[in-house]
This record gives sequence, structure tokens and C-alpha cells, in this order.
Amino acid sequence: MDKQQILEKLAQAIVDTDPELARATAKEAIASGVSPLEAVEQGLSKGMGTIGDLFGRGEVFLPELLLSANAFNEAMQVLKPELEARKQQIAQTATVVLGTVQGDLHSIGKNIVATLLETSGFRVVDLGVDRSPLDFVQEAGKANADVIALSCLMTTTMPSQKAVIDVLKEMKLRDKYLVVVGGAPTSQKWADEIGADGYGQSAVDAVALVKRLVNKKK
Amino acid sequence: MLTFLDVMERATAGPISTEEDFNLKVLVPNVRKIVKQFDIRYDAANPVTTDDALARRLFDAAVEFIAQTGLYCTGTNRIIRVERDEILRAAQEISGGGTFGEGKDRRTFQPRRPDDATPPWCHVGTGIVASSEEIAMAQVEGYGSIRQASSVSIPAFGRVRGMPVLGGSPLEIYASAASVQAARKALWKAGRPGLPILNLISSATTATAMIAATHPAFGLRASDGWLIDFIAEMKVNYETLNRLAFILITGGNVGSTCLPILGGYGGGAPGTALIMTAYHLLGMLLFQGSYQLTGPVHFKHSCSTTRDGLWIFSVVGRATSLRTRYPAIALGYGAAGPCTKMYFYEAAAVNLCAVSSGFAGVQTVHPAKAIITDGVTPLEAEFNVAMAYAATKVQATRANELVNQLLAKYETEIERAPEGKRYQECFDVATRKPSEEYVRLYEQVKEELRGMRLEIGD
Repeated sequence: MDKQQILEKLAQAIVDTDPELARATAKEAIASGVSPLEAVEQGLSKGMGTIGDLFGRGEVFLPELLLSANAFNEAMQVLKPELEARKQQIAQTATVVLGTVQGDLHSIGKNIVATLLETSGFRVVDLGVDRSPLDFVQEAGKANADVIALSCLMTTTMPSQKAVIDVLKEMKLRDKYLVVVGGAPTSQKWADEIGADGYGQSAVDAVALVKRLVNKKK
Repeated sequence: MLTFLDVMERATAGPISTEEDFNLKVLVPNVRKIVKQFDIRYDAANPVTTDDALARRLFDAAVEFIAQTGLYCTGTNRIIRVERDEILRAAQEISGGGTFGEGKDRRTFQPRRPDDATPPWCHVGTGIVASSEEIAMAQVEGYGSIRQASSVSIPAFGRVRGMPVLGGSPLEIYASAASVQAARKALWKAGRPGLPILNLISSATTATAMIAATHPAFGLRASDGWLIDFIAEMKVNYETLNRLAFILITGGNVGSTCLPILGGYGGGAPGTALIMTAYHLLGMLLFQGSYQLTGPVHFKHSCSTTRDGLWIFSVVGRATSLRTRYPAIALGYGAAGPCTKMYFYEAAAVNLCAVSSGFAGVQTVHPAKAIITDGVTPLEAEFNVAMAYAATKVQATRANELVNQLLAKYETEIERAPEGKRYQECFDVATRKPSEEYVRLYEQVKEELRGMRLEIGD
């Protein structure tokens, strides 16, 4: 099997949500002399991109996304030591500190965004749910974040997104971070109203938005 | 039924697991396996199903799913285990729902069956945030004026003296108490002081606020209904269990609720239907529910009125009404908002689907995904009641044809659904009357539906 075929097989293992195949193909890639960095970027990430697109079109759902991410991580267990041994690094686009805002315990939407961001090469610090405005600001500082991503599912917790931006402004840190918002009750209008840098209508949109904003800032 | 202490015993002694492991190693594989094992298939051509064999398989699948999966408690990181026999016994023994309301508005919530001509329980209104007490009261007064209303759902207060009510903040306690007081007064003004409130407490995101606002000084009664929610999917937390403990020890009616995410951990329509049926059984057994409030929400469109969403309503309604006497209210989220034709089409579809499939009750379909402050009026509630009654005269086979016709009118517009108007843009706040434009639109849609041979009243 040539390099291109191995890379395609890796991508397909991710699309097929098959952890065993992903792991075995990762081993095959190394044994065949494929660079681990190429295996990640041209194989695994390509597969995740395909799954992300299918998810965005509603052709697959959350379980497939999670299982693909699981297969990705299985393969990474083989590839990561090889990357380290060769001092190769996956190009990490940026660091995103993400969480559900104070008063809101919903996590599914946030988890989907986290998975898609991670598999798109971002470093993600997931703060979980019901986190205070100051938590976001402090954790963003600790992580040296580029982006703060705020999720909420309830109309009654939307003001907590604004509260994070208000705290950033008060602490004169607003310009340090890109702030994006998302969740069922939010909208572009809401993002504009509270002074966020962007709004993601869906998880797929959110990832595209973060990529766009990060690239623009560079 | 299990007692509250039985539930707590299992929540503290069940198998330990991380939430991630529960999701990936228990929940997702079990959904996939059981959907396949019981051959639960989505039928896009028939959003209203008449397939009793499928409905019965779905019920059996849900029992098996619960027995194999349990319910994850995030407070203890343990799985609450439930036995097959416990579920089946509870389903067999339950005789109906709770008794709600006072005086001439006091009624017991009775189950219905598919193609049942009995009018469903009409739960009117929504918990959508109101910008002011004045608008909230105008909305609730309007709901109370609907003669066939069996219960009401009251708005949440988004602001107090100009300050946003943040979930978990002390203002939430104030807003929760203020919202129930205002609603009681509005119902009294509507001449329906005994009408029960069934979405307690819409302004309370925390157990603390809910318990505080239940203080008798604010006017709630044991004959109202308190919502206790599962967490999507197949989870409870301490907030949930704190609320449950309080309602059960004070003798209130528990409204067990869940809005499974279509496209979430359940995957597509079959898995989501499986989870929604499981919630029905768990609400009856673990929460000792007086009723279930339920409906799917699409992961991408945040509404319930997609073709697959309607099918879920139908198959779950049929499965649960054929096999239990525990009544459920169908709760739908529309994509379009008030004062739009699309909203009415969506609401008509949900009512036809739910009523003909055996749902015991229907709630006003929430306009515009329930996210627009002041984005609901009593005219949507009135329309839903009229449609619910009209739907009792339609058998499921015919309902299926009608729902397909309605879907043809709005299905392709879901992604760019119109937001519609806020209360003050299509109602007069002082007189509580709808604008001429809205009345005209309303009458036009009703005529259109009559043209489809639906017996919709004036």
C-alpha cells in the first residue's frame, strides 16, 4: 500500500468510527515510513473534516462525531510518541477557553464545539458548565488563550455571556481575547448587542468562525 | 413506584463511572444496539404513524434500554439502576395523572389513546421570558380567557428593576416569586382563579429559587404542577434531585420533563424516540410524575416541527399511550414566531400529530424556538386549542395526510423561519386585543385549514 492509500485508509477509519482500524492503520503508517505529522494532518484530520461536514449537513449525528473523535484519539496514541521522538509538532492554530456560562448546566452543544475545535487543530480548555465570568477571565489568562467561547442554552442565562464581556472590559482585558458566543437562544444580533466578536449558529459554524477570526487577527 | 429514598439509595450506591465513559461506553452503544435489536425505523413518508407493532416494539425497547443503561447522576458520578420488572409493574399499576386546579377548574388529568375522540388536556401559554410584569400579566390574562384551557404556563421574568435576572443569582429568587404572584393575579382578573399553573417555576433555574418561590405567601398551591427535568441525555444532577425531594415531601404534583435532542446522544429519529420513551417511563417511576411534558428538539434547527421531529411525537405518543395510563403533554417548539403563517402551519402539524397519536395533552407550540423576549401572545394559544379540538375529529391515517400537506407548506423554510412579532407589536397591551393585521392573518389561516376539511372552530 502506498503512502496516499495509507493516508486515505486513516481518514476512512475516522469516518467509519473504527478505533481498531484507526490504531492499526496508524501503526501501518509508521511501519511504512509515513511521517507521523502527515498521518495526522493528511489522514486523521482529513477524516474528522469529512465527519464535521457530514454533521453540519445533518447526515450524521453526535454519536458518530464522538466515536470518530474516539477513533482519532486511538490513532493518536500510536502517533503521538512518534511525533515526540521526531520533535514534530502539530500546528496548533490557537487556544480556545470554552464553557457554559453561569447559571446554565447544559453541555451538549459546548461538547460538540469542543470536539470539533480539538479535531481541527485547536488547543481547547473546556471549563465545563455553570462557570462565573471571572472563571472565564482567569482561566483564559492561565491558558494564554486566544479565544473565549461562551455557550448557553437558556434565555435566562444569556446575560451571563454579556457579564463575561463586561468583566473583561472592566479589567481592561477585552482587546486581549476574541470572544465568541453560541447556543440556541443567541443570535448575531445578540452578539453585536453585547460586543462579542462573533456568533456561531451551529457547532460547525462556530469552528469556521473561530478559524476566520484567528486568521484575521494574525 | 420507587420512593425518593429508593432513588437516592441507588444514586449513592450504583456503579461508579465518569460522565464521559457513561456517554461513550454505555449510552451511545446501548442506543445503537437496542434500536437495531428492536428494529426501530424512521418512516419519513409517514410522519404520523399508525404502526402499532412498531409502537409496541418501541415501548419494549425503552424498557430494555433503561434496564441496560440506567440513569447517570452527575452529583454522585454513579448510575441509578432500574429493573425491567419495576418499570413494567409501574406501567401496569398507574391509573392516570394528578388532580390539578381548584373550584370549577379542578380536574384530573386522564390518559388518552390513539384516535381517541376525547378532547386533550389543553395546556396553554409558554414560559418564554417577558420583558415586564405588565406584558407577562397581559399574556396570562389572555391565556386564562381561553375557555377550553385546562392549565396555564406562565412567563419567566427576564429583568427586575432593569437588572437582568441571572440564573442562580439572588435576583432569581425575587423574579421567581414575582412571576407567580403576577400570574395568580392575572388569572384572577381573567375570572379563572382556580386554573392551575403547570410550569413551576419558569423564572427559576435553580432549586433554591424554585423552593423559595413556592412559599405559600406567593400564592402557589399543591394543585399546581412543578417541572422536574432530566438532563440530556439520561442524566440527573443534584439540582434536579433537590427539586424532586422538595416537591415530593410537600405533596406537590411533579411534571416530569425532558426535551431529548434530535441529533444528540440518541443520534437520529429512532434513537431519539427511544430516549424520549425512556424518559416517559423514568418520569413515572423515579420522579413519581403526575404528568410528563415532552418533545424532541432538533440539534441544528432548535425546533420540533421538522419531519423527523413530528414522527418522534407520533411514535412515542402511540407507544406510551398504548402501554401506560401515565399521561403526557406534547411540547413542541416552532421555528417561526407569532403573526406568521408558518407558525400556524407548524402548530397545526404538532397538534394533529400528537392528538391523533394518543397524547393526553398538548401545550401551545412555543413560537420562534422560545428565544424571543415577549415573543408569544394569547392568539397562538387560542389557535393551538382550536387545533387540538379539531384534531380529535381526525383519525391518524388522515392526520398523516394533513401533516404531509402542512409540511409541504413550511418544511423548506425551517432554516430561515421568520422571527415574527413580539406581544407589543401585534397586541394592544392596554386593551389586550390583537391587531387587525394579526386577526386577519389568523382568520385567513383558519379558512385555509377548513379548506383542508379540518373542523376548526371559531
